[in-house]
Amino acid sequence: MSEKPISEKPKSKDLSKKITKEYMDEAFHAHELGKLVGYTTAISPVELFVAHDIVPIYPENHAVACLTSRMGTELSTATENLGYTSHLCAYARSDLGYRETGKTATGGIPDPDVLMACNAQCFTLTKWFQVLSRRRNVPMFVFDTPEWIMNKKAREEIIKYCVLELKELIKWLEEITKKKFDYDRLKEVMKYSAQASVLYKKFLDMAQYKPSPISIFDALIGMAITVYRRGTPECVDYYQTLCDEIQAKVDQGIGVLQNEKYRLYWENLPVWFKFSDHAKLLGSFGGVILTSLYVHAWSFDFDLNKDPLLTLAENYLNRFSNSTLEDRADMAMDLFKRYDMNGMIMFMNRSCKAVSFAVPTLKDVLTKRTGLPALVFESDMGDPRFYSETQIRTRIEAYFETLDRLRA
Amino acid sequence: MWESLDLSKVIDYAKDPYASIREWKRASGKKVVGSTLADVPEEVIYAYDALPVTLLGTHRPLKKAPSLLPDNACSLARSNLELALSYEGDLFDGFVLPQVCDTTQHMCDIWRINFPDKYVESILLPRQINRESARYWAREEIERLISSLGDWSGKRITDADLKESVKLHNENKRLLKELYEIKRKAPATLSNKALFSLIKLSMQVDKKEFNQTLKKIKENLTIKEGSGYTDVILTGIACDPPEIFDLFDEIKLNVVMDTLVTGQRYLDGMVDEDVAPIDAMTARHFKRGFYSPIHDDVFKNVEGLKALYKQYNAKAIIYVHIEFCESEEYDLPDLKKAIKQEGIPIHVLVTEYQTLSLSHVRTRLQAFFESLKGGTL
Ligand code: SF4
Ligand code: SF4
Repeated sequence: MSEKPISEKPKSKDLSKKITKEYMDEAFHAHELGKLVGYTTAISPVELFVAHDIVPIYPENHAVACLTSRMGTELSTATENLGYTSHLCAYARSDLGYRETGKTATGGIPDPDVLMACNAQCFTLTKWFQVLSRRRNVPMFVFDTPEWIMNKKAREEIIKYCVLELKELIKWLEEITKKKFDYDRLKEVMKYSAQASVLYKKFLDMAQYKPSPISIFDALIGMAITVYRRGTPECVDYYQTLCDEIQAKVDQGIGVLQNEKYRLYWENLPVWFKFSDHAKLLGSFGGVILTSLYVHAWSFDFDLNKDPLLTLAENYLNRFSNSTLEDRADMAMDLFKRYDMNGMIMFMNRSCKAVSFAVPTLKDVLTKRTGLPALVFESDMGDPRFYSETQIRTRIEAYFETLDRLRA
Repeated sequence: MWESLDLSKVIDYAKDPYASIREWKRASGKKVVGSTLADVPEEVIYAYDALPVTLLGTHRPLKKAPSLLPDNACSLARSNLELALSYEGDLFDGFVLPQVCDTTQHMCDIWRINFPDKYVESILLPRQINRESARYWAREEIERLISSLGDWSGKRITDADLKESVKLHNENKRLLKELYEIKRKAPATLSNKALFSLIKLSMQVDKKEFNQTLKKIKENLTIKEGSGYTDVILTGIACDPPEIFDLFDEIKLNVVMDTLVTGQRYLDGMVDEDVAPIDAMTARHFKRGFYSPIHDDVFKNVEGLKALYKQYNAKAIIYVHIEFCESEEYDLPDLKKAIKQEGIPIHVLVTEYQTLSLSHVRTRLQAFFESLKGGTL
């Protein structure tokens, strides 16, 4: 294996820092700017917040920063001391622990004026936000997204229900802010979201090249801006810069691994505190994880010719996490084909029941459909107490031995 | 089959109703449709001349479910899957499965893939209940279930069929409420175990037949007030294994009211017979009591529990928590704190389906009620 260092400092990194700093400045000074702070879930129609001068804050993102900095055990323990159990999602435990101790890996996040939970990714966030809502008596809106079942007629009804809800959400925002919702502004926000989504998808899809210029670890870093800044022109700029940078690597034939043997699929969220260790370990076997449905959760396909509420509803409903297992398998199969992958790591993440409980069945379907063996391991994305170093290392080694044997 | 059972038979059947359901199916030639908690409108299934059976786990060992659902899934979900995969699958022609929490988020998919030859339908009732859209959606889902069952069975039902089914289900709930009332006032007449077995079995067998049993049991009861009982309110989702009720009986607790999905919350699900059935079933959805996955206001729930505690002059609240039920786990710390702040003694009892030994539960429960009597709580 050989890794070619890129000497020139990437512009996207600076841009990401700048955007993030400005965003957090805005959030912390929201009230002075005549804006409100709205907590929301990573997969939620945040475009409505952006169009209505509500600065979106994602407690999940803040939790990721804390968990990546290995604060999981400390923050979880603080939460468990309040009477919450260790089975809850590590994001929630990290967040409640941060609120209890004030400890954070960043400068923290401002308190919410409003809360909006969309359950297209999970129901945990709804319950977790309810805890926050109770504590400070903050108004909360649940955007309920029934599963995107495989029934055309039912889908039409689900969309109707969700559009009704979005209208209720707008009314709710208008009542809280005493300000009329501006649909023209929403259209503009949607335009930026759509443009950024196309570029974000282009960035992820660069993993199709051989050797792949990006691994999932680049994707996980690269996805941050679309999660929290979609709907803004700077988000579009960022992905344009990022795509240009990666394209330059492609043009020079630079890959994450020059001799990539195994192009792998990853199921689930990453183990945040093992992020770089995993990249190194897999790299030592000639393996590079290219993608996951998780990073693709923000590849939206907004249709600007449609009513904005309709295209919002459709896009937030059909995320992988809200789709049936059969559809999720089809989405993964599409990635397997397009990215030409020859292995898969299926992570059973104790934190994330919504995504993980489907994994054993999904694994059965995918191994059958691809003919590839899968590595399944159970741990937690943020709590090192549930991570067994030797066991997981042994499993990874054994998996590559199997792949090698199959190749031979 | 179930029209003339004595109480001991009811208790036996409530623990394991499946042999009797199998026999009933053979004799009647009708279809059996299982559903999981909560709020599946069983009246609709019954109107299609099929037997709606609420799946409430198995006490037999887990064999296949652990490879599909890890050990941090709630035991009710695992136990139900096991019941269908290993033990009673052949009995069921289909399943209607609600999506309520993270554990059940993809449960219907898992069942559909694992039971390719059966009818498996989801019911996606709203997980918000305070807005107009929820009413629209609850109705749509009830209508979707009606048309899905119609496509599957090849039958069409009328409002009259639905009304008749509603009437029968209401009658069942009315009879159970009467028995509850008797037990509340004269706890030595009917044990906790007997009452909750009557409710549980009602959720699993043909009500047309079982209502006969309920009437006969009521007529033949010898009213005994008994003495030395401590009145309690029971809350949570479900209370299992049934031996927990033996513990309650043993230490002379009298459950005077509860808010369990497998208890009073079920009994409160009577449907207005004077309104068009679909409208009435939709309205029912919004009248039901607190259920952690869909009701957001823990403090309102505390107010409700406080009101019951006062109304029934209870001495304590017992919260039955199903381990790994994350919905409950997000509510519990605040709920417990708020109840304690009201000066109401509360005991949280953690259970798991498949629990074999209750010695730990017994010790903690006894200690709680001893200190309650000693006035140290
Ligand atoms: S990790 Fe899973 S459970 Fe936790 S917030 Fe994200 S989607 Fe929800
Ligand atoms: S609500 Fe709780 S008990 Fe019911 S299925 Fe979900 S986790 Fe299990």
